[in-house]
Amino acid sequence: MRYGTGPEVLREVTFTLKPGSFHFLTGRSGAGKSSLLKLMYLAHRPSRGLVTLFDEDIATLPRKRLPFLRRRVGVVFQEFRLLNHLSAFDNVALPLRVAGVKESTIRKHVDELLAWTGLGDHMDARPPTLSGGQQQRVAIARSLISRPDLLLADEPTGNVDDALGVRLLYLFEELNRMGTTVVIATHSENLVSRFKKPILHLEDGVLIHHDRVEAGGGTGDPRDSRKPFGRGKRQ
Amino acid sequence: MIRRRTDLPLSRDPSVRLVPWIIGLMTYLACLMLAGSLLLSELLGQWSSGLSGTVTVQVLPREREPARLLNERVDKLVRILERTDGIAGAKAIPLEEIAVLLEPWLGGAVALDALPLPRLIDVRLDMIDPPPMEELKTMLSNADPGALLDDHGIWQDQLADLVGALELVAGFVVLLVGLATVGIVIFATRSGMAAHQDVVEVLHLIGAEDAYIARQFQNLALTQGLHGGIIGIAFGAVTIWGLGYAADHIDSAILPQVQLLAWHWVVLASLPAATALIARSTARRTVMRSLKRMV
Ligand SMILES: Nc1ncnc2c1ncn2[C@@H]1O[C@H](COP(=O)(O)OP(=O)(O)OP(=O)(O)O)[C@@H](O)[C@H]1O
Ligand SMILES: [Mg+2]
Repeated sequence: MRYGTGPEVLREVTFTLKPGSFHFLTGRSGAGKSSLLKLMYLAHRPSRGLVTLFDEDIATLPRKRLPFLRRRVGVVFQEFRLLNHLSAFDNVALPLRVAGVKESTIRKHVDELLAWTGLGDHMDARPPTLSGGQQQRVAIARSLISRPDLLLADEPTGNVDDALGVRLLYLFEELNRMGTTVVIATHSENLVSRFKKPILHLEDGVLIHHDRVEAGGGTGDPRDSRKPFGRGKRQ
Repeated sequence: MIRRRTDLPLSRDPSVRLVPWIIGLMTYLACLMLAGSLLLSELLGQWSSGLSGTVTVQVLPREREPARLLNERVDKLVRILERTDGIAGAKAIPLEEIAVLLEPWLGGAVALDALPLPRLIDVRLDMIDPPPMEELKTMLSNADPGALLDDHGIWQDQLADLVGALELVAGFVVLLVGLATVGIVIFATRSGMAAHQDVVEVLHLIGAEDAYIARQFQNLALTQGLHGGIIGIAFGAVTIWGLGYAADHIDSAILPQVQLLAWHWVVLASLPAATALIARSTARRTVMRSLKRMV
């Protein structure tokens, strides 16, 4: 893909994520991790090549159906992208409201999740009054609230100390155990070596697999037909 | 439901307070134009129902003609007219009535005998089979060269043309005002979207349908259109009442006695609903169109 008329940021990227797999996405700063995730959460269209999400070809899917696909993907943005004028509660509730979920159901789920992420006391706080780590947890809670089939997290531990980072990773692992496919972009050597998960490594717009088969981890087998996410070959 | 929840802090934007006033100004203009054209067509209706079906014959006095001779000429013409096909009746208007008609111009205390006033004959035409005006004219001038046919038709046609033109102008102004309102709403909606681009994007990315995002803007536009419309017709009503009050206190026969009828007020009162709906659908279209550009 490319931004506008700029150079091609991603060139040779071909992979298929097996449902229920857990991958780290690594690469030096500027390698294109965020760009790859943008393709995956449908913020960008590839300038060429094929993107398949939940067995649907993005290029041929009618625009009207995209929101329903997006609702199955939870995203933790690198810059959080919380809505500053809404409380932590309303931020986390947003994906459910957008999907038209009943207000009573929303209250129950959001209360529960905020308590679980240790933000029970900050439900009414607006993001600017929260610490970086607290904001990050609100962002993570928002990405989890709709129980997505695919979770994409861009540097979800960038703003927290190592101990909290590890705790958050356990949270993702927990989610993964319940069936969600997880991709986490990170710089943290510590996390990557601690959680022995397969790695998607980006270098100069080219994707290199480092599969480390683990219990619960995926193999990235491209022949799997139940792939939640796939990418065609792009040269 | 409690207060309507919004995901966009639109109501805090400074431009939001200004828009209803601009829409209000537009509605005010539209209101005056509409009221004016409703009054005009009312006026035209009154005039034509009072005038059509009648013509007037003017009998000009000859120099130093005694009143008796003039009366004879008038009587003779009345008799001729009454015999003519297509004329339902003819009646000489008494001199006193002519004096009343002329009073605004000549003042009250005029010695009527001293003035060579023309005499008037009121002719009612048979509406089903009226005589051709040209033939009537020749017949009259043959009978008496001093008899002139005043056919109100020309005056009426011209009046109708004028009223028609004025209504066209009023309609055009209302159209322009409507377009300006649409323009304002498009502008306000676009700047709202630009100011909250980040929020719009997040809503979009977490799976909001276009209609959901559009709803946020169209609800605001609806309220703004409604407020603006109410401001506009409130000032419009005050203006119309003020003009009506002033007109009532001018004691003159020149000013026609017309009033807005109940259904006219209903038309004017529906303006806020119209502005609200126009604003709402404009905002919706604007948002939907610009969202189409996002993946
Ligand atoms: N919105 C954008 N417009 C133009 N170019 C962009 C944009 N976003 C990223 N890029 C370019 O794309 C390339 C990849 O950026 P990307 O954000 O994907 O990297 P990254 O791997 O996420 O880096 P980091 O680890 O620092 O977050 C960079 O060269 C960057 O300059
Ligand atoms: Mg990045």
